Amino acid sequence: MSTEDTQNDEPKHPYETEDSFHPLGEEWEDRMREELEDTEYDADLGMEMARDAQRLVAGEISEEEFYAEYHDDVAEEFEADDRPLFDDVNPANHEEIEDGSVLDSLAEMDLQGEETSRREMMKKMGAGAAFLGYGAYATYDFQPADGAPDNVSGIRPAPKDEREHRWGMVIDLQRCDGCLACVAGCINENGTSTGANWMYVFTYEDEDSEQENFLVRPCQHCSNAPCAKVCPVRARHTRGKDGLVLTDYETCIGCRYCQVACPYGVNYFQWGEPDVEVSRLEHLDMRPEEVRQLEGGDYDDRDSERYQALSDANDHVYDYRGRWTDSRPPQGTMGKCTMCPSRQDGHTDNPKGTVACMDACDAQGMSAIHFGDLDDPESRANRYLERRTEVEDTVLEKWEGVEDEDLDIETTASPTSEISTFRLLEDLGTQPNIVYLGNEPGPETEQTEPPTPYEVYSGSGNKWGVEVVDERKEHLDYGPSGPPEQEGEEGGE
Amino acid sequence: MATSPGEPEDIIRPILNTSKKYYIAFGVAAAIALLWSAVYGWQLEEGLIVTNLADWGSGGGSPWGLYIGAFIWWVGIAHGGIILSAAVRLFGMERYQPVARMAELLTLGALSMAGLYILVHMGRPDRLVLSVVPAYPWTVRTSPLAWDVTVITLYFVMTATYLGLTIRYDVYHLRDRLPNYLGPFYSLVTLGYSEIEEEVIERMVWWLALGIIVLAPLLLHGGVIPWLFSLVPSMPGWDGAVQGPQFLTIALTSAIAGVIILSYICRWAYDWEHIFSDAMFRGLTNWLGLFGLLFLWLQLQQVINGVYAEPIAGETAMVARITQPYYIFAIGTVIVILAYIFAQAVDQRQFSLARSVVASVLMLVATLTEKVLFVFEGLLYPHFSLYEAVPGHYFPSLVEFSSLAGTVALCTIFFLVILKLFPVVELHAVEDHHDDHEPAHDEEVSS
Repeated sequence: MSTEDTQNDEPKHPYETEDSFHPLGEEWEDRMREELEDTEYDADLGMEMARDAQRLVAGEISEEEFYAEYHDDVAEEFEADDRPLFDDVNPANHEEIEDGSVLDSLAEMDLQGEETSRREMMKKMGAGAAFLGYGAYATYDFQPADGAPDNVSGIRPAPKDEREHRWGMVIDLQRCDGCLACVAGCINENGTSTGANWMYVFTYEDEDSEQENFLVRPCQHCSNAPCAKVCPVRARHTRGKDGLVLTDYETCIGCRYCQVACPYGVNYFQWGEPDVEVSRLEHLDMRPEEVRQLEGGDYDDRDSERYQALSDANDHVYDYRGRWTDSRPPQGTMGKCTMCPSRQDGHTDNPKGTVACMDACDAQGMSAIHFGDLDDPESRANRYLERRTEVEDTVLEKWEGVEDEDLDIETTASPTSEISTFRLLEDLGTQPNIVYLGNEPGPETEQTEPPTPYEVYSGSGNKWGVEVVDERKEHLDYGPSGPPEQEGEEGGE
Repeated sequence: MATSPGEPEDIIRPILNTSKKYYIAFGVAAAIALLWSAVYGWQLEEGLIVTNLADWGSGGGSPWGLYIGAFIWWVGIAHGGIILSAAVRLFGMERYQPVARMAELLTLGALSMAGLYILVHMGRPDRLVLSVVPAYPWTVRTSPLAWDVTVITLYFVMTATYLGLTIRYDVYHLRDRLPNYLGPFYSLVTLGYSEIEEEVIERMVWWLALGIIVLAPLLLHGGVIPWLFSLVPSMPGWDGAVQGPQFLTIALTSAIAGVIILSYICRWAYDWEHIFSDAMFRGLTNWLGLFGLLFLWLQLQQVINGVYAEPIAGETAMVARITQPYYIFAIGTVIVILAYIFAQAVDQRQFSLARSVVASVLMLVATLTEKVLFVFEGLLYPHFSLYEAVPGHYFPSLVEFSSLAGTVALCTIFFLVILKLFPVVELHAVEDHHDDHEPAHDEEVSS
């Protein structure tokens, strides 16, 4: 393959934006080219390699592909290519391609031991390294570098081809009637304390209309989560394999920076003793460190010792890594909606691909919440989204055809407007993984009393008998002893 | 007032003699510190539920409050203190040489209190080391709080080195007049001392001072500490690049106020009128005025930017802030203090040491109030304002208030102990027979 070919028949490279493929722009690229042209070697090849090196760090191509692509060219140009061929690349490293590994192998190129050619080569490599360095900087946070201790996780989901799922939800606000079944479902699943409504439903009114609207608010499990970024101990992190934003309860120091940085207000700190004791949540009779010590497998490895133990116990506290990230947090640490990682890791009695709030919503006959893998077009979430938009398209198409004829369309959906989808505060760049169908609350909206009060699920209204309230502050202000004489008022309606 | 320079005997008097006042001060401070440690013990036992903090959002509270506000306040005093001391060394501001070490000590004491506040603020302080250290190489790339821990450590090391280097000279030259029971301590401090090192130490300290002066605005109180707030996307009340300069001016204002109070107490307790002269206090008062003015100027910038054609969220946050009674109290207090400082700068007869000390105390109250307000007011007005419970409410609980008394008491104990260990005034300051008559300089500074 010659470099001319690649230039001619490559239609549009993903990194070719306008005139330059380099994020720093054309001027930078030109400077790099000049530097390369000063050497006696092929500048085009250098530029090609630099460009694909960027794709490599972005995870679009594999290390093997990169080597295979350029092996002949490099061999021809430098009369030898002693870089490792793909057979030599250690398969263990494939998953975590880091700039270091590529740079190292590039640096190891032995150019026949000739001093001059080595120097020239280093010059070319220098230009390449500048690109690589930039690319590595832009992607470093996908996964921690090699040698990171076990408890250090990344803050971004892995690139698409390296992850298994990207869990998220499609929530149809037009189907929600504010029954709060999802709120209760979440409390039952996780044993959260009074007022820590991981799942929360806004009832709100617009200034112009008296219509009651709802906004269902779980954690948005952002792909660019501010909470994970700011955590000083990486307790709050993003699971690379499936994008879940979780808190490691054993690492969290309770500084509450995640809560401060989250624009959605989904975090609930465990200010005092949790209402539900750990013994009622924990089905596995083991200490957390013992669970971690069990031989564990990769994501979805059902044969590992840890998976067996968790699965036998119908565990709802640990995830596949053996980390305590599920159910309510212990005192002094941060909690929030988890999207049920123990379910997604397949070791509870509930199937993978479900969450407690969705189950509760379905059981109520509402089916407003659709959880699923947003990467997978066949997931429940994506299928629902597609169907809902299709219904609307059909309606619109019908309208296009009718023109002046008498209108007689029987449909519940409004024929005059396309159904809108939105993500909450998307312009903050958080890349939330909750897609809403329906109207987005505007700046003049006001939260109003919900048709079903939160208190309905207090006491016997939930599995644990805990009190359920909307606003938590008052409850907390009573201090550790709790509000006085409240016991008599509990009970569902 | 007397302008004769002090004698070495003056500066070692606190080490040799212990007055009744000292015992009383120590007893009171220790009692308060003990009481607070009991309160803190209760917080450890029950959790942060004993504070009036709560979740923002549906919870209707503020997750950060007095603890973080007081943390910034102490860090500010610390940063300002060392800047003052470094400026004395770099710019040859000899008039303030007698307070240079006091400022350094204030830095160490205040920085320790700031560190303590980090601990007090945590839900799980027991995990601080084991959680922070292993993840540090990764979190330091992303978390402003990890940067924060870094710069505080850096600052502590720099200041301690600075102090450690400068006391070698003093201890060596005063050694035979210092008490023998502290012999091991003095041997440690002067380990390997030789007279030829003095020039080298001077140079090292000069470079350290330069580093401190350069780092403070760029990275420390003008950088990382304000970035803790201004970098998060959620709270418009914290937005803006002005936070860096704003934090720095507040730090300098607080530190000068702190130094005025400390040196006044020492002057009163040890009859150091000739060392801490009135002229020096007047100069410090003018500097307090200058930085106070910068503080007000930057507040004005924020207020104007906030209320004039700001996006809704920003305007709401700013309007809420300027109508908050405590904010009006804090800014009003600064204005009153500035009125006094301006008056005494124009007409020297208006100056009195007592007034300057009162102004300093009030200034510290004002800066503390502003810092605490900055923290929780920012959190009460997030971008996402749909929650009915937002803006929530927050007023510190007694547990939180008691921490202020506790940390001030601990800082006092720190000083009382230091007073017994080595001179809090540099030997150089009483050796150099400099002239203190520079009335023209005062006016320059204050205008």
